[in-house]
Amino acid sequence: MFRPRPHQRAVLEYRSGKMGISAVPGSGKTHTLSYLAARLIQEGYVAEDQEVLIVTLVNSAVDNFSSRIAGFVQEFGMLPGTNYRVRTLHGLAHDIVRERPDLVGLSTQFEILDERDSYRIIENATVNWLHSNPDFILEFTKPDIDPFQNGKIRDKWKELAINITASFIRLCKDYQTTPEQIREKLDSLKFIHPLLQMGADVYADYQRALRFRGALDFDDLIRLALDALLTDANYLQRLRYRWPYILEDEAQDSSRLQELILRTLVGESGNWVRVGDPNQAIYETFTTASPEFLRNFLKENGVQAKTLPNSGRSTHSIIRLANYLIWWNNEHPVHEELRGVLSLPYIEPAPPGDPQPNPPDQPEGIYLIDRKYDSNKEIHAIVQSLRKWLPNNQDKTVAVLVPRNERGAKVVEALRQNGIEVVELLQSTQSTRTIAEILCNVLRVLSDPLSPRLLEELYQTLRSREAKRLDFTDTYNKVKSLLQHCERVEDYLAPTPERNWLEQQKKQGNPDEVISELVWLQQSVRRWQAAALLPIDQLVLTIAQDLFTAHNDLALAHKLALVLEHARMINPLGQLNDFIAELDSIVKRQRKIIGFSDDDTGFDPDQHKGKVVVATIHKAKGLEWDRVYLMSVNNYDFPSAQPYDNYYAEKYFIRDELNLEAEALFRLRALLQNDLPGIFIEDGYATQRARVDYSAERLRLFYVGITRARSELVITWNTGQHESNQPALPLVVLRSFWEQQNVSSS
Amino acid sequence: MNQMAHLSINQISPTENQQAVLESFDKTLFLEGPSGSGKTTTALFYLHSLLEQGVPPEKILILVPQRTLATSYYNLLREPYLPASVAISIVTISGLAQRMIDLFWPLIAQNAGFAHPNHLPIFLTLETAQYYMTRIVDPLIEHEGYFESVNLDRNRLYSQILDNLNKSAAVGIPLIEIGERLKKAWGGKPSQLVVYDQMQDCAIRFRRFCLQNNLLDFSLQISIFCNYLWSSFLCRQFLLNRFQFLIYDNIEEDVPVAHDLIRDWLPHFRNALLIYDTDGGYRSFLGADPEEGHTLQSVCQETMHLDQTLVTSPELRIFNEVLVQSIQHRSLIIHPSIRQCLTSRYHRYIPEMIEDVCQQVNRLITEGGVSPGEIVIVAPYISDALRFLLINRMEQLQIPVRSHRPSRNLRDEPATQCLLTWAKLAHPHWNMPVTRLDVRNALVQSIAGLDLTRAELLSQIVHRPGKQTRELGSFDLIKPDMQQRITYFVGERYEHLRRWITNYQSNNNPQNEDNSCLEVFLSRLFGEVLSHPGFGFYRNFDAAKTCTELIESVQKFRRVVSNTHDNSQHSIAVEYLRMIEKGVLAAQYLQSWQEINEETVLIAPAYTYLMLNRPVQYQFWLDIGSLGWWERLNQPLTHPYVLSRRWDENDVWDDVHEQQTNQTAMIRLVSGLIHRCQKGIFLYILGVNEQGNEQRGQLLLAIQSILRHLPPNEEV
Repeated sequence: MFRPRPHQRAVLEYRSGKMGISAVPGSGKTHTLSYLAARLIQEGYVAEDQEVLIVTLVNSAVDNFSSRIAGFVQEFGMLPGTNYRVRTLHGLAHDIVRERPDLVGLSTQFEILDERDSYRIIENATVNWLHSNPDFILEFTKPDIDPFQNGKIRDKWKELAINITASFIRLCKDYQTTPEQIREKLDSLKFIHPLLQMGADVYADYQRALRFRGALDFDDLIRLALDALLTDANYLQRLRYRWPYILEDEAQDSSRLQELILRTLVGESGNWVRVGDPNQAIYETFTTASPEFLRNFLKENGVQAKTLPNSGRSTHSIIRLANYLIWWNNEHPVHEELRGVLSLPYIEPAPPGDPQPNPPDQPEGIYLIDRKYDSNKEIHAIVQSLRKWLPNNQDKTVAVLVPRNERGAKVVEALRQNGIEVVELLQSTQSTRTIAEILCNVLRVLSDPLSPRLLEELYQTLRSREAKRLDFTDTYNKVKSLLQHCERVEDYLAPTPERNWLEQQKKQGNPDEVISELVWLQQSVRRWQAAALLPIDQLVLTIAQDLFTAHNDLALAHKLALVLEHARMINPLGQLNDFIAELDSIVKRQRKIIGFSDDDTGFDPDQHKGKVVVATIHKAKGLEWDRVYLMSVNNYDFPSAQPYDNYYAEKYFIRDELNLEAEALFRLRALLQNDLPGIFIEDGYATQRARVDYSAERLRLFYVGITRARSELVITWNTGQHESNQPALPLVVLRSFWEQQNVSSS
Repeated sequence: MNQMAHLSINQISPTENQQAVLESFDKTLFLEGPSGSGKTTTALFYLHSLLEQGVPPEKILILVPQRTLATSYYNLLREPYLPASVAISIVTISGLAQRMIDLFWPLIAQNAGFAHPNHLPIFLTLETAQYYMTRIVDPLIEHEGYFESVNLDRNRLYSQILDNLNKSAAVGIPLIEIGERLKKAWGGKPSQLVVYDQMQDCAIRFRRFCLQNNLLDFSLQISIFCNYLWSSFLCRQFLLNRFQFLIYDNIEEDVPVAHDLIRDWLPHFRNALLIYDTDGGYRSFLGADPEEGHTLQSVCQETMHLDQTLVTSPELRIFNEVLVQSIQHRSLIIHPSIRQCLTSRYHRYIPEMIEDVCQQVNRLITEGGVSPGEIVIVAPYISDALRFLLINRMEQLQIPVRSHRPSRNLRDEPATQCLLTWAKLAHPHWNMPVTRLDVRNALVQSIAGLDLTRAELLSQIVHRPGKQTRELGSFDLIKPDMQQRITYFVGERYEHLRRWITNYQSNNNPQNEDNSCLEVFLSRLFGEVLSHPGFGFYRNFDAAKTCTELIESVQKFRRVVSNTHDNSQHSIAVEYLRMIEKGVLAAQYLQSWQEINEETVLIAPAYTYLMLNRPVQYQFWLDIGSLGWWERLNQPLTHPYVLSRRWDENDVWDDVHEQQTNQTAMIRLVSGLIHRCQKGIFLYILGVNEQGNEQRGQLLLAIQSILRHLPPNEEV
């Protein structure tokens, strides 16, 4: 039974109109919002054919909301699953467009390209553009570097140009501007900045490629959803009736289009509740997302502004640290433009008698490490720390939080090498990748059936975990070694009376367990070989049925089969190796695919006690652990707009330390707003602006990282690849505060 | 509804109402009623009675909107005691049109505007029409920037332009007005309007091209039949003299020009029975016009109603009423008895659902004694993956199962790929690339007993794609240790095949187009090598069937294309292969009706099942949350309702229209299904669909409203 706190009670009294809520980390906003939805349903505020619409930021939150509302609704004695709908913005846009595709000129079975496919098209268009415009690269490369002689620089240039064009396209779509409109605006200028030229050309090529495939990307989906709403007033009316209440979670990350879509759906007199924490706005760089939308909403006439300041998540010490960061940012900002990046209210602990009290304080569990590690040693230090901590804390949860996926992958590798069990929460999840990897290795064996190495790798993928779990490592190793030395695979997989490798192994006295493993593998591969001529989707499903039993694994394989079938439709002449490359891109985290495992749909850290969760700070949002390691807190990953800071977006081979992505987007914004001076502003101005914006966002990211910890917090930093990084300024400030606290308390 | 799907006409007696129809001779009779009320059965009695009375079979015309709707008539006419019945004409309007054009071509060719009236007409299939459409549209897309603002893959784009041509002919809207009509009804962004102009231009260019080359697509066949032949004295007299007895079934599924024709023709028949299904109208998206069809009632001399369903249980009838109320958001009057005929099941993931469906079907068969033919599994769309898994699991449970769907696209058939690989290798001057994997797969299929591993080894040695010569290497020249690995037994068969190809090449001069005749090659390869013992197609009836279909498809293509093809550029065979690879030529065949084994569980898209017109005891409705139950198929270049006679040209299509038409269509769909169900329906709700999305379609919402008022069933 939910016993709301006083501030939560005030929110739950809501029945109509517009309300904005500023909530601190751990204040129970998901719980409160879910309860509010259930109450509105129970009290009959929505008719049988209406729904409370909950819009949240990421897929993982959707299931979380759904199950909480279902729980409350059942508590009230009603049927779960009806009268509410939880969606991400993409999910909502998909619902809107999917119901009336005709309004935006689409057919019913329109395809949505995933990020990887979309990236490939942009890559292709950008590389072609660079080939036809070699002067572009010369113009922006540092004079002492020859970009055409140095392969590494060439690759980095390619990557940078793709990032610029991808962001350019995304921003155009966010502003609902077509390539033709951009072209029209550019044609009216006497001089076109090369960055604008590149963006516009690639955007036009990209859209042409999408049309050719009859496909959309995710950004189109959102743009078209708004178009659909504005095109047919009767459709809008019907949706307004269907969703009389809109509850928006994580409103601090609302983008311009999200705000527009929801505002349109709500209408002048509709019911809209927006909850968010402006201090946790971490998706703003190069997008139109901004906490300002929420801040401004809170100030609008007729909006009831509330706060949820109490949090029972963390110890008093951790709350003190987070609050100090807010105070410092407001009272002594290191850069005037960063003042107020973190805003009030401060986090208040749970009131006395609260059913979710704060954990007992544990100031000794806070380690703000000032030791200067290099990149590898930082990882080593954390691995050592975990090796010590884990055996005594098997009933607790722990996470290592990193600023980037690549860093996370290295941490995962190091932990695994040290025999520590890891749960990944990076770009695509472990289970998704495991399923993709198994399928990929089976396909490899079918593609090259003569290779003993691939056969051995397949066996390894299929049996290594089992071998550990069921304790037959010796047998497993023996089988692997025999497979490695199986020179003529055909004598094993399709023996003749004269040449039978398996019989030979029996005669050589190999143990029965080894032989039975070899028989199992032989039979399995033969079954799959017999299916090798099936269309790729059916082949994958056949293999999956043989290998997996859990429904979510099978559902994931089903989805992968559809992904491959889609790839085949795009490339009808594609062969096995092309499909292997598709699966491999999922395995190598190049491609994100929403799977069906728990980690994708509502991750619960408490399910992984005694193991180490490795996550990006972005992915960790909304989650909490008993102990949190926050890594790489240096002035590169967390700069503070200081002259000595380094910036990820400013590439060393670019002249004048320009941030070309920022330079391009600044000019694009100016173009879209017909701001002539902005279009022709001198190089460097946008770079300076971007430093401040990026520093602001990274400060908030740091705040998010700290507030993931319940009881213990370890923060480290490293000197980076060139050993030139320094600790991030906020870390230095916190450490000094913490030392003073400890001195005064002792 | 056809009660005689399982029974012979001699085994049942007509009901009182049916008897009344049989006694209404020498008049034109309009018979209407809901699905399952015995209308088609009445027509079968009627036909039987005509024949018994000695009416000459060639005087009888049976008109249906689609061939599958004639199945009951074909079944009856196969009865051994009706030997003369082969002379009865069972046709669709386009079938009739083709016959008449063939017969009276010299009479109308010039007037209809064909450039070569002295040459024979060439009838296009859907595929060959699509092929010519590519030739019209592709240059416009590539050089003129056509269809820049529409997101649509090319094959759909071609087919939607053809669809507009067809609708123009079937509805009777002048071709040049189609674009304008679509533009007037468009309420969205003005940037879309140019697309309709471009579509209009392509349609007109296509029509011109057809007239120039004596090509007749469906639209031209219908237009010529209605506008020239029916008004020509000779042709009209021929038809009036030839047919004196008419059975016109499923009027509601036919197109308006067919209704016009019959309206005009009806007074000339001695006897006519027109049958109208009040639940029907499932082919509206193809131009069917049930309202227009119903107007034929006014020209019939008598109307009879069959209101009583002979199929559906009382509980299911109540369920139908309640479901319709719920879809229409009317207050529900719910009788708990409907729980007896409904089982609702929820699964989060599709594999769980598949397992459960198969277990339930198995239980019905093994414990309930239900015949597999009395079970149907329907969903709005059935993906290949879903179909494959359902069939696989059913086969594991030894449940006889079939899926009603077009055959696989030709390019996806392994046997096709195998045959085409050999064809490419045998004709190196075509310059069509062949990969090692192609060769390996062709070898595995061609040589009996060859495993994938040895096929890989053999293909690596004998096929060198980089080499100048495309010739396959000889087994005899391989190193002995490799020969041993591949085995001499495989080597012998491979050599036989290779030598056959080499001989074929040496006897054929690449300069001579006739010698590159693909169908001759395929036919010889199959007949002289692959169908012999020791080779992969020996006693492999599926492969033989694919081979036959492939040959037929090439022949059709050659017949149609040879008139317009510029032989100097590419051979027809190369063009054919390119079109297969692009997916323009799919050569998809519906399993012909003769082959359907009725005693199997049927898996079919809901509308396809309805058009089979065959009741069952139990139905499984999969994924009732899918929007597919509700929505029409949206096609950016065409619009089934705007291009109908019901549409007010001054109106703009908006959400109110969308809702009304979808609601009407869904009511038709679910009522049609329920009226074809005798005992019970299993409703499946999915947490997330195949794509991983949660869907809340209108059918789910309507059913949830009903379930809320019912006691839960134990399985929920």
